[in-house]
Amino acid sequence: MKLDLGISSSSSLSAAIQFSKLAERNSLNCIWIREALNTQQETFTIASIILLETSKVNVGTVVTSPLDRNISTIARAAATLSQMGGGRFRLGLDAARPNALMRDAATLLRRIWRGETITFTSDRFRLSNYYARYKAGFATPIYFGVRDLKLLALAGEIAEGVILSGPKRYIEKAVAIVDQGLRKRRRRRRSFRFVVWVPTVIIDKKSDLKLAREAVATVLADTPKAVLEMAGIAQEMVKPIKAMMAEKGVNGASRIIAEDLLREAAIYGSPEEVALDLRSLEKYGIDEAVFGPPYGREPAKAIGEMAQVWKRLR
Amino acid sequence: MEKAKIDFAVGLNAYETVKEIVDKCVEAERLGLDYVWIGDSPPHLYCPSVAAAVASRTRKIRIGLGLLSPLLHTPDQISGGIIPLTEAYGDRFEICLGVGDRSQLLRAGVDTKPARVWDHVLKAKRKIARSLRANGAATKIWLGAQGPKMLAASKSFDGVLMNYASPRMINWAIDRIKPVARKGFNFGIYAPSYVYRKWRPQAYRLLRIASAVVALGAPAAVLDEFRFSKRLRRAMEELEAGLRIESVVRHVPSEIVDNFSIYTPSCRLRSYLSELGDLGISHIVFGFPQNLSKITIRELASALPNS
Repeated sequence: MKLDLGISSSSSLSAAIQFSKLAERNSLNCIWIREALNTQQETFTIASIILLETSKVNVGTVVTSPLDRNISTIARAAATLSQMGGGRFRLGLDAARPNALMRDAATLLRRIWRGETITFTSDRFRLSNYYARYKAGFATPIYFGVRDLKLLALAGEIAEGVILSGPKRYIEKAVAIVDQGLRKRRRRRRSFRFVVWVPTVIIDKKSDLKLAREAVATVLADTPKAVLEMAGIAQEMVKPIKAMMAEKGVNGASRIIAEDLLREAAIYGSPEEVALDLRSLEKYGIDEAVFGPPYGREPAKAIGEMAQVWKRLR
Repeated sequence: MEKAKIDFAVGLNAYETVKEIVDKCVEAERLGLDYVWIGDSPPHLYCPSVAAAVASRTRKIRIGLGLLSPLLHTPDQISGGIIPLTEAYGDRFEICLGVGDRSQLLRAGVDTKPARVWDHVLKAKRKIARSLRANGAATKIWLGAQGPKMLAASKSFDGVLMNYASPRMINWAIDRIKPVARKGFNFGIYAPSYVYRKWRPQAYRLLRIASAVVALGAPAAVLDEFRFSKRLRRAMEELEAGLRIESVVRHVPSEIVDNFSIYTPSCRLRSYLSELGDLGISHIVFGFPQNLSKITIRELASALPNS
């Protein structure tokens, strides 16, 4: 099992570069850049800068929606990043929409990268004698960052990997659904990557738990009903959190996070505890675990400690 | 109009590999060019990422991004690209907004005829400028323009990059902007170019194609003004019928193509530049196929003043 680093596109660029270099120095496997809402920084550009500042570590974006950008733009951004990184780039994709759209998006991207001339019309995509004039050079792996059950199965059918996020019990069930997709297409499990990204926090002092509570409040407020059901979390437990989030923001919502919800939706503790907890996901078939954010009270220190502990456990 | 110092740039169409583009930009900096412009079009590589690669390997050359079409990218996506670039590599970036190559946009499924397209571009510019200012980026925003409506809209920008090369057409455009232009407004051109010491048939063929693309994409008002419309009709019909530009170009008369391109032996370039300087042009982008190779870039650089 490999350790990845997660970065939000709302982080400062200097912090993102610092953390990325730290991750590379410590032989982490991949840096995932999450496209934050209302950020002032465009994710593909941040990924470009991080690829230029590193030389070995993989870099991925989580997640680009084909509803937000023209499909030709996603294709060429991914192709450019793959070229710049010598094949180190991974494209995270999600539209939170029915299977047909995601299936079409993945198919069109691959056809564009193969240099085909494409005429295609659907509800969302319209290409007319379109072809890329650049040579893609590298095959960009597509990772689905999805939570919908049908899309999880589709990920198993057509993606190179999946990025799972949600409560731990959901993760276990989501892996089984993705596996169904893999089996349907008779794809080999080894050719597919399962990545898990849940909030992780290194706790130095008891007061650091606040970071974990805030992260969980933010995540739960945005977690779809189906995911909560799969995790066995009753809607009634989450409703007050959502209400408090709307009324008093993350600070207020974090105060009412119950202990069992915290344990279910985040991974926290000493570096050893966090590493062991992440490694425990291997039993579900997880190949890569993403560390952070919020990382800990001192993010750079937390990332360094976590990487060291991970090496020792290996 | 007062003769301004002219900045010289080479435009790069981003369909080569990133490494090839970066190598050419490094060479352009070594040769003393003031700018490189990285093109952005649906069939090309992603401009902000290529710009990052160029900036990481150069020290001071200014980097233009564009033409960036607000029909293809949202204002947040455009400013969101420039903000991290500026933070990482300094205030070396400028952008050019415009409608873009309609035929390429149509191929990518982009509606190129929303109501009041110039208004759409103008609104995008305001939003981008606000966001850049709020994040401390002093990025100059140009407008790529040809027709009367876009030329009129350019007064709200820091400058205009006109898509033609003949002094007669440039003069016509400047006459439309000059009365409303603010102090410090920049007039520039971005045109297919081939400035040569040793003439190469391949470069000339590519120049003809690139210029024909610009001529055939020009607004009807411009083509009518200069009486090009009738003579371009057959080429336009063939293009609309789906024929490739390479086969359509034979129906585009040379004398029309010449208005849209800088095509001259290097020994005659300075007199042309002087004429443009007299018109008030302060920025010249030598577009494709001048960037064909490092040799063609060197031939351009050696022909420029102060080379």
